Amino acid sequence: MRGIIGETFTPEVAVGFSQAFGTYLDGGRILVCRDTRASGPMVRAAVIAGLLAAGCEVIDLGVSPTPSLQLAVKWLKADGGIAITAGHNPSQWNALKFVRGDGLYLNPPQAEELLDIFHQGEFAKATWAQIKPAIQHQDSIQHHIELLTGAFDIEVIKNRRPKVAVDCCNGACSQLVPRWLRDIGCEVLTINDSVDAAFPHPPEPKPDTMAQLSAVVKAGNADIGFAHDADGERLGIVTELGQPLSEELTFALATRIRLEQRTGTLVTNVSTTGAIEQIAAVYGGAVVRTQVGQAYISESMIELNGVLGGEGSGGVTVPEVHSTHDSAAAVGLILEGLARSGKTVSEIVKQLPRLTMLKHNLPVAPNRLYSVLQNFRLAMEQERLTYDLTDGIRVMLPEGWIHVRASNTESMIRVIVEAEEARSAQKLLDWVRDRLNK
Amino acid sequence: MRAIPTLKISISGVRGVIGESLTPTLLTRFAQAFGTYVGSATIVIGHDPRTSGEMVKQAVIAGLLSSGCHVIDIGMCPVPTVQLLVRNHRAHGGIAITASHNPAEWNALKFIGADGLFLDSGRAREMLDIYHQGEYTKVAGVEMRRVEEISGATDLHIQKILEVLGPLPQRKEPLRVVLDACNGAGSLVGPKLLAALGAEVIPINSTPNGLFPRPAEPLAENLGDLCTAVKEHRADIGFAQDMDADRLAIVSEEGIPIGEDYTLVLATLYVLGKKLGPVVANLSSTSLLHEVANRFNCPLFLTKIGEVNVTEKMQQEDAVIGGEGNGGVIYPQINFARDSLVGMALILHLLAETGQTISELVNGFPRFSMIKEKLACPSDKIPVVLRMVRREYANYPQDLRDGVKVNLSNGWFLVRGSNTEPIIRVLAEAEFEAEAREIMGGVYSRVQDCLTDTTRVAST
Repeated sequence: MRGIIGETFTPEVAVGFSQAFGTYLDGGRILVCRDTRASGPMVRAAVIAGLLAAGCEVIDLGVSPTPSLQLAVKWLKADGGIAITAGHNPSQWNALKFVRGDGLYLNPPQAEELLDIFHQGEFAKATWAQIKPAIQHQDSIQHHIELLTGAFDIEVIKNRRPKVAVDCCNGACSQLVPRWLRDIGCEVLTINDSVDAAFPHPPEPKPDTMAQLSAVVKAGNADIGFAHDADGERLGIVTELGQPLSEELTFALATRIRLEQRTGTLVTNVSTTGAIEQIAAVYGGAVVRTQVGQAYISESMIELNGVLGGEGSGGVTVPEVHSTHDSAAAVGLILEGLARSGKTVSEIVKQLPRLTMLKHNLPVAPNRLYSVLQNFRLAMEQERLTYDLTDGIRVMLPEGWIHVRASNTESMIRVIVEAEEARSAQKLLDWVRDRLNK
Repeated sequence: MRAIPTLKISISGVRGVIGESLTPTLLTRFAQAFGTYVGSATIVIGHDPRTSGEMVKQAVIAGLLSSGCHVIDIGMCPVPTVQLLVRNHRAHGGIAITASHNPAEWNALKFIGADGLFLDSGRAREMLDIYHQGEYTKVAGVEMRRVEEISGATDLHIQKILEVLGPLPQRKEPLRVVLDACNGAGSLVGPKLLAALGAEVIPINSTPNGLFPRPAEPLAENLGDLCTAVKEHRADIGFAQDMDADRLAIVSEEGIPIGEDYTLVLATLYVLGKKLGPVVANLSSTSLLHEVANRFNCPLFLTKIGEVNVTEKMQQEDAVIGGEGNGGVIYPQINFARDSLVGMALILHLLAETGQTISELVNGFPRFSMIKEKLACPSDKIPVVLRMVRREYANYPQDLRDGVKVNLSNGWFLVRGSNTEPIIRVLAEAEFEAEAREIMGGVYSRVQDCLTDTTRVAST
């Protein structure tokens, strides 16, 4: 549930979804956290009102990364949680992310059940004798730090004493990552770690938002730079040379490091780079691709006992910490891997497969989305190509792969193509567009 | 008979039952309407200790922030403290979260203007219009303002009372007071104030947990514990507050409730003894108030019922004291609000300075007897009942400003619909109890018959 504050995202909507969630979970203990957006306190108040009215016991974690809440759900024996954050979306947005009793997000069928309750508008209503007269407060960050410290070989990192630059985008990681890195013996250069200030740049870790971090890495001679989104899910990386890496490379780098430690199943979605298969082919490991959506990756990680999960947006799931994206856990994995190998990050990145990915959004009227996709599928059939329908249509071709799917959030078709060479990628994209426009 | 609705949206604010009509969505919309009405400004909020207080507060905060307000949250406190803080912080408005004397399942929002007064009927209607139109100011995320939590609001209130009235004069033995705070908003602040004045305090029912140890209205029949405690501790006086600490009732040193209409009478006696000036009360106040005002040769103005009607008239007339017959004392030098804390301070000063006991003071007046009754009545039946009363008593002088007040040769009665609950109230007063009972008997049975008749008609 996501919207723009002052327009579509009103307090009534936040109240209604929280009542629906409280109804869905049949009361119980619910955790609430928020990122650092200025609208956070408003949404928080609306969420708490809705949860209390539905008879829930509320524990407020204050400003906290979403993964910290997800870990605290189990720690505090809660029945669920609501993270108030629009993740990587700009500051005018906000959203509610619904977490289940096992610390994972509601999966799409569960989210639909919740939506049904919201639309029906028949919510559980606590009477005066049932309603909780107060909320409780708890710090989830210290607990997160303890679990992170337990999940990695801290001695190896400590001995190397890496110099790490961190850009928290004034988001929820400001209170987690710099503190933890100092705890485990890193020398930390921090920028944008004030939870009271506005986002200094869009909270989406991509090369074009990492210029400031890159400058700090260079000026401070850091070994690596890490950029976090607003709620601690996505991670962007700057090499020791000050070069910002594409967000697609975060998961690829983590995969390479993980497979050197131990092999096993890797879980990613159908639109993430094919470099994952190539790395797995070299270092050993099987790749499973799910539908797009973090819940699918989390559930497959558990089901298949995966060794690493992730996606091209920069989200990485390290199962030693938990089965959900956690940018701090990704930092731990990468720092431990660098320390063990004794290599620099650019040395490792140089060895990663170099592929070119192109993305294209094609606006399509809502009533035509289905037929456009069906026609595209028929075209593939006519050309006798095999395709994968896990999520939209994914086709493997000799020069690379293409993925065509309807957006979950807007009336458009998203096209992703990837090939070894830039020129062949462009050719693939033209080939797809040609067939979509028919 | 059909169910009586549990939501009351009126110029007194919005009131409803938790778990039924008073939903967080409704509350957040009212807060947005109020935020829009005051123009996205600074708003003070406080709540009484009802179990639903936190839920209601969060819904209100969400609505106020969404409409661009800066919120000052003063936490759990008496309603008059919210009113005092609005003026003290030069805020543009306030919302008090309390259903005052309604039972525990109720809660409500009361809207306060920049002057610390409740919105009067004109302003309340403007606000209600905004609520019903549903076009609220919505600020963008980046422009949203913050919630400022302030502690010590009640200390400021105590300090203000002490500044104006001072501590009690020294005596051999300090005045011994039993305070029954009804586990309400006055639970923590009342004992502190009394100690600061120099009295000895024995608090009962002073755990602010939202669980009502007795019905919240400080009526004689609800004050059994207090009466026992006053006798047991040989106290000089017993005070009873309601849930939001605006109303005050008194139990004498003999352990007898003297009737809540005496609270304003005794406060007026003290204030006029210090400074002469106009007195304002509502038209359901006891005739005894006339006696006191006459004794000092001061004018008495009677207004429609409702705190804001009294306070506005007090401002117009530059009154020195005012209030309502239900135990609400308004002393403008401290606060333009019904304030049980101020009431206690005034009455203890009266005791200390006169050296008389409560019974002696009460016996110094002629005895009037007031009887109060209420009948369950859906709001659409209220006009039917009022028309009947006007017709039946057409030969007597009537005051139609608020319900129907009829002056008879030996007393008066008042019939009016409540602004806050689906009930109709009947009051009768005469010099002797038998006469008051006779007046009440006549009008009560007529109202009762009228309600049964109209229900029968409605169901056929």
